Amino acid sequence: MSADQIASRLGRGAPSAGRAGGHLAVPRSIKRRRETGTALLLLLPLFVLVVGLIVYPFYRAIWLSFTDKLVGYPERFVGLRNYLYLANDDTFRTVVRNSLVFTVASVVLKVGTGLLMALVLHATWRWRNFFRGLLLLPWITSTVIIALTWRWMFDAFPGRGFFNSVLLDAGLLSRPIAFMATPEGAMAAVVVANWWRGFPFFGVSYLAGMQSIPGELYEAASVDGAGAGRRFWHITLPGLKHVMLVTIVLTFIFTINDFNIIYVMTRGGPGTATQVFATYSYEVAFNQLRWGRGVTISIFVVPLLIALIPLLSRYLLRERTA
Amino acid sequence: MTAWKAATIAGLVGFCLVVLVPFWWIASMSFKTYEQIQFAQSIYVPRPFTWENYTGLWLDTRFPLWLRNSAITAVVVTAITTVISCLSGYAVARLRFPGRESVASLILILYLVPPALLFIPLYRVLAELGATNSLWSLFLSYPTFTVPFCTWLLIGFFKALPVELEEAAMVDGATRTQALLRVLLPLAAPGIVASAIFAFTLSWNEFLYALIFIQDETMTTVPVGLNLLIYGDVFHWGQLMAASVITTVPVVALYMFIHRWMVEGLAAGGVKG
Repeated sequence: MSADQIASRLGRGAPSAGRAGGHLAVPRSIKRRRETGTALLLLLPLFVLVVGLIVYPFYRAIWLSFTDKLVGYPERFVGLRNYLYLANDDTFRTVVRNSLVFTVASVVLKVGTGLLMALVLHATWRWRNFFRGLLLLPWITSTVIIALTWRWMFDAFPGRGFFNSVLLDAGLLSRPIAFMATPEGAMAAVVVANWWRGFPFFGVSYLAGMQSIPGELYEAASVDGAGAGRRFWHITLPGLKHVMLVTIVLTFIFTINDFNIIYVMTRGGPGTATQVFATYSYEVAFNQLRWGRGVTISIFVVPLLIALIPLLSRYLLRERTA
Repeated sequence: MTAWKAATIAGLVGFCLVVLVPFWWIASMSFKTYEQIQFAQSIYVPRPFTWENYTGLWLDTRFPLWLRNSAITAVVVTAITTVISCLSGYAVARLRFPGRESVASLILILYLVPPALLFIPLYRVLAELGATNSLWSLFLSYPTFTVPFCTWLLIGFFKALPVELEEAAMVDGATRTQALLRVLLPLAAPGIVASAIFAFTLSWNEFLYALIFIQDETMTTVPVGLNLLIYGDVFHWGQLMAASVITTVPVVALYMFIHRWMVEGLAAGGVKG
């Protein structure tokens, strides 16, 4: 039973007349002051956590990006040198390009597959909840395990690699293919793993969106002679605008900062073919031990976040603070 | 009409195959012998079927230790998260105070800050606290992503409950604390359980912070341990698959338990995808 169902069931029996009495009992200004005190007290643990472990580290990150901090040496202020270095660094340009290719390809695939999944589930007439739960499985599985799984799926060695095993067994290949040995193959493999992890979330979100579109709209369109394609284009897609925007922006933010899938599957290789922001930042900070530069790499993503977050909060905050 | 039904069935079968084949591939490999994997024998179904990967994993590797570390971390982080999120979620959903909307946007922004942005400075802060290389580093760092997320979910759950019930209790002489404990909490229990399971799953699956903050192989968690199995001993494929299966099972079990609430939470607020 959902929270709303419980609430509406119990709400029926609740004395709503009590509400006015509650407000009369305490003068409004005193009540508000008391509530502010309580609120501050309740929010205190959150503020401690946020200031100590998010805001302060973030401030340290900004400071570090202006230094040439090497592990074992004191940090020296170098101004914008890290930023200028990266702006002129060929590897970093590759990293930016890879991050965008990885993110855009994953998001496009997830939107397409998610729509298809939602349409299929929407048309399912029995056991819809069962199938919805089953198809959500990749989304709750550990990303590390998903990355390992797809590493074995694409493995060049037939005993471990699913595609090589099956294709060789079916006689479609004469010798195994090393899918992840080429730059394009490695990029395709990490995109597939990311897509597989993410599309069920899109599908379930779009299904919820489709279920909230009033059926009368479809009936009216049918009466007016609109076919299935036009009903999808003129009713379903506009009805999903909100949820599509939210899922796309959310996933864009989390995919462009992805670390797990790429680190586990390719470590950014072959060469720098799949190196993205987070893996390159890790590589520079923890393998080359250049912390100042490593931090600067991740700070390059911040303007993008600042641009995208207001877009999202406009949609998401409405339902939380209203 | 029948054409639509056929297309739906084809679509369902296709999606189920896409989702299940990789799981099946890993699970079936976990029951194959070294020779079966090495020489690509009985590729579809392991014949003969063996438990040797599971016993080997349990007896010859540090997997049990990693499992213990993961479980402790997930339980502690879930407890911390649930307390902080319930308090803050209640404050934002129910109390009127200046700056309430700013707090709500702050929580949303924090939920969107990717962990990849903070790992280097967080490492330094934790090192200065002397917390690195122990589970303390995870107890402290995981709430930075579980708390904003769970608070966000709980604000939604609390808001969905009618405020009249608590007000009625207070009119009848209950204090705010009593109204909270006796009226709101029991009603919000499904939401709190769902958010706790999210916190548990996020901690259980976390990789980046555990990789960076803990160097000692005996102190680390399962996701990092799995990677040690690959690079440590290249030949034990079967054990790695067995470890993946064991790690996935608890999460799937929890998930079956809350699947409905979870999907409603998803639809209500939008969740990391």
